Amino acid sequence: MKQIKIFSLIISLSIIASITNAQSFKVPPYEKFKLPNGLTIYLMEQHDVPVINVSAVLPAGAIYDGDKAGLASLTATALKHGTKNYSKTKLDEELDFIGASVNTYASKESSGLSAKFASKDKEEVLAIIKDLLMEPTFDESEFDKEKQRLLVSLEQQKERPGSVIGSYFDKLLFGEHVYGNIIQGKISTVNPLTTTDLKNFYKENYRPDGSAISIVGDFSTKEMKGILTTLFSGWKKGTKAQSNLASKPINKPTENNVLLVNKEDAKETTFYIGAPGVSRNNTDYVAIEVVNTLFGGRFTSMLNDELRVNSGLTYGAGSRFNALKNGGSFLISTFTANKTTEPAIDKALEVLKKLHSNGIDEQSLTSAKNYVKGQFPPRYETSGQLASLMTQMFWYNFDESFINNFEKNVDGLNLDKAKEIIAKYFPKDKLQFVLIGKSAEIKKIAEKYGKVTEVQIKEEAKKGF
Amino acid sequence: MMFNGAKKYGPKMFDQTMEFNGGANNAYTREDVTVYTNWFPASAADVIFDLEGDRISSLSIAPEMVESERGVVLSERRTGLENSPWEQLSQTLSGTAFLEHPYHWPVIGYEDDMKNWTQADLERYFKTYYAPNNCVVVVSGSLKFDEVKRLAEKYLEPIPAQPAPPVVHIKEPEQTGERRVTVQKDVATPYLMIGYHTPEAKHEDYYALNILSDILSSGNSSRLYTSLVDKKQLATQVFTSYGESFDPTLFQVYAVTNKNIDVADLEKAIYEEIENIKKDGISENELQKIKNQKLMGFYNQVETINGKSNNIGTYEVFFGDYKKMFDAPANYNKVTVADVQNVAKKYFSKSNRTVGVSKSNTED
Repeated sequence: MKQIKIFSLIISLSIIASITNAQSFKVPPYEKFKLPNGLTIYLMEQHDVPVINVSAVLPAGAIYDGDKAGLASLTATALKHGTKNYSKTKLDEELDFIGASVNTYASKESSGLSAKFASKDKEEVLAIIKDLLMEPTFDESEFDKEKQRLLVSLEQQKERPGSVIGSYFDKLLFGEHVYGNIIQGKISTVNPLTTTDLKNFYKENYRPDGSAISIVGDFSTKEMKGILTTLFSGWKKGTKAQSNLASKPINKPTENNVLLVNKEDAKETTFYIGAPGVSRNNTDYVAIEVVNTLFGGRFTSMLNDELRVNSGLTYGAGSRFNALKNGGSFLISTFTANKTTEPAIDKALEVLKKLHSNGIDEQSLTSAKNYVKGQFPPRYETSGQLASLMTQMFWYNFDESFINNFEKNVDGLNLDKAKEIIAKYFPKDKLQFVLIGKSAEIKKIAEKYGKVTEVQIKEEAKKGF
Repeated sequence: MMFNGAKKYGPKMFDQTMEFNGGANNAYTREDVTVYTNWFPASAADVIFDLEGDRISSLSIAPEMVESERGVVLSERRTGLENSPWEQLSQTLSGTAFLEHPYHWPVIGYEDDMKNWTQADLERYFKTYYAPNNCVVVVSGSLKFDEVKRLAEKYLEPIPAQPAPPVVHIKEPEQTGERRVTVQKDVATPYLMIGYHTPEAKHEDYYALNILSDILSSGNSSRLYTSLVDKKQLATQVFTSYGESFDPTLFQVYAVTNKNIDVADLEKAIYEEIENIKKDGISENELQKIKNQKLMGFYNQVETINGKSNNIGTYEVFFGDYKKMFDAPANYNKVTVADVQNVAKKYFSKSNRTVGVSKSNTED
C-alpha cells in the first residue's frame, strides 16, 4: 500500500489534540474517585458498541531508568510475562481466545496499560489487568527470551533512520537531563539487565498513589465502581517518595550544534532541526498549536508547501511541539535525497526565518483556526480515545475545560497574540540539528550549520549518543 | 496530481480550500484501487463536493506541477526503501511470483519510469480511470441521505462517463515449481518472505484462507508465534497477510530471523507448522478463538466514521456489494475446521510458493 500524503502521519505523532467544535463536542459525563491507597479512577459510560476500553497511567517511565536505559520499557513489557495467577502462556491464550487486547508500555515520563475487550468479558479481563499491575512475577526464562528479541530489535532499528532519530535528538537537546533518556534502551545497557533489576524497578515505581485508571464503554458505573474497588483496594501505597527527577533544570543550548549520524548505505538524509519547547501546562499551549498548524502542522503549512509542493525536495515536511510535564521540544522534521540535503536544510531554515520576518496574515490564521476546530471531533470519537484523554487529564493535570473551552480559546487568538507566540516560542537561533545520512556526501554541508559531532549509526558511544 | 489543481480550484487551492473549511484529506494506492478520503465538518459538505466534482471532472495537469510532483514521489519511493526492510524484498518477491499478471509491478513504480513519465501518460491514465463510472463514493457521519443525494446530483452527476477501462485479461499461469529470490540489504539478521498464490476476494475460499492467516499469526497464542518466536526462538517476529483483491493474489508469510540462527532453519520450521495443519487440521477451540477475534475486529472497524466508510467501500468494490459487509460475520461463522485444513492443503504446496530472503551477505 502506498500513502499519497504523509501528513496525517506526522500530525498523529504530536501529543494531544488541538481544536474543537465546542457547540457540538463536550467531554461526556464521567465519574472520578480515589481509593484510600491513592489510585485515581475515572469511569465513563458509552453504550454504542458492546466493548470496554481501559487506559492506565503510572509514574514508571524512562526518566527513572538511571544508567540502565531501557529498564522502564522492559519492565512494562515484562508485566505480561506472567503473574501470580496466570502463566504467560495462559495469559496469552485467555486474552486471544476472547479477542481481548491488553498492552503494556513505557513512555518517557510514565508507563501505561491499554486494553480493549467485549463488555461481557469484563470480569475476566479486569481480573487479569489487576494481576498484571499488582502481581507480576517477572519470569526468568520469559525475560531471557524477551531480552534477546529486544537486543536484535535494537540492532535492527539502526537500519531505519526514522526509528532512531528521535532518541538522538532528545539526547542532543536534553543532554544529561532525564528527558534525554532513551526509552527503548541501548544494546550496552540492556545487555546486563536481569529480572532483579526489573523487580526493583517495579517495586519502586508501580504504585497506586500517583497512578490512574480510566474505563470507558458499555457498563454500569455503579457496578464498575464495585468491581474496581474490590480489585484494587488491596494495592499497597509506595513505601518511599519518588524523587522528582524531571523537575531539574534543562540546560538551554548556547550555540548551534549538529549531530551527524553516519549511515553508510543511506540514499537519503533524514533530519530534525529543533530547540527547547514548552511544558504541557503552558497557558499558551492552544495558541502554540494553532500557530504550529500554520508553520508545519498540516498539508498546506509553510514548511510542507515550500519543501514538498513548490520544490519537490521531499515527500513531506512538518514541525511539532512535544510537550512533557516540565519541558519539551520543538522540531522541524523531513528527509530528502543525499544530493538535495543542502537545499532542503536551507529551505527549512528559510521558512523558519520567514515565520519571524513576515509573520502570518488574517486569512491564514482564520484557516488554521477552522482547521484545528474541524479536525477536533474525530480525536475523541472512540471509547479508547476517551479513555486515554482521561488518563492524560490526570497525568498533565488539566480538566475537561481544556476540551470544553477549546473553541473559545482557539477563537480568542488574534494576530497580535500570534505574533507574540512566534517571537516567544519559535526559535530563531541556537538550533540543534540531527542529520542521519551518508557522512562522506553530507559532512561538508553539515559543517555549514554549526559545530559538528559525528557518530556511526552502528556503533554505541559509552557516554552520550 | 489530484491535489495540484483543476479548473475551478487552481494549483494549491484544493488543499487550501479544504483546510480553510476545517477539512483534511489523504489517499492511498494499492494494487487494485486508489482511495481518497476527506474528513470534514458536516457544515462544509457543499464545499467538499464542489472540490471533488471539480478535480474529477476537470483536473489540470500543469507541467510545472508535474515536475515538483515527480520529486515528491521519488522521495516517497526512496524513503520507503530507506525505512522499511521489507520494501525491496516484497517488490522482488511479487515481481517473481507474478511473471505475467500486472501484480508483477510495484505499486509505487520503478525509478526510471517515475523519472520519465510524460504529461500525456498522466492525462491518459486520469481520463481512463478517474471516471464516475469507475468510482464509488461512501459518506458516513452527520449528514442525511437526502442531503448527500442532492449534493451528489449537483456536483457529481454532471461529470460525463467514460468508456469502461480495459479489462485486465491476463491470468497468472499456474506456478509449477518453487521460485527463490535473494536481495542484498545491510541488515542485522535476514528477513524472510514466503508467498503462495491464492484466490481473490470473491472466491469461495476467501474466508477460510483469511481465518487460516489469523490461526497462523494473530496474537501470541497463534501457531507461528508460539512455535517460532516463543518455543524455538528462531524468529524475533512473524506475521502473515492475506487481503482482498480483484484477481488471484498472494498469501504471504513474513519472518525476521533471530541472531545466530540460519534463515534456512527458520524457513524449515515454518513449513513444519504448515504441514501440521495440512496433516492434522486445527482445533475447534482455535477456530472459535479466531471467530471471537473477528467480531472484536468488526467492532473496531465500525467504531469510527472513517472505519465505516472504508469498510463499506471495501465490500462494495472487492466483494461486489456493500451489503456483504453485513454477511461477513455469518460468512466467517460458516467456516469449519475442515475448510481451513482443506485450503491449507490446496494452496500451501512447494511448487506454488515463492521464497525471498534479504540479507547483508549474499555471496554466501
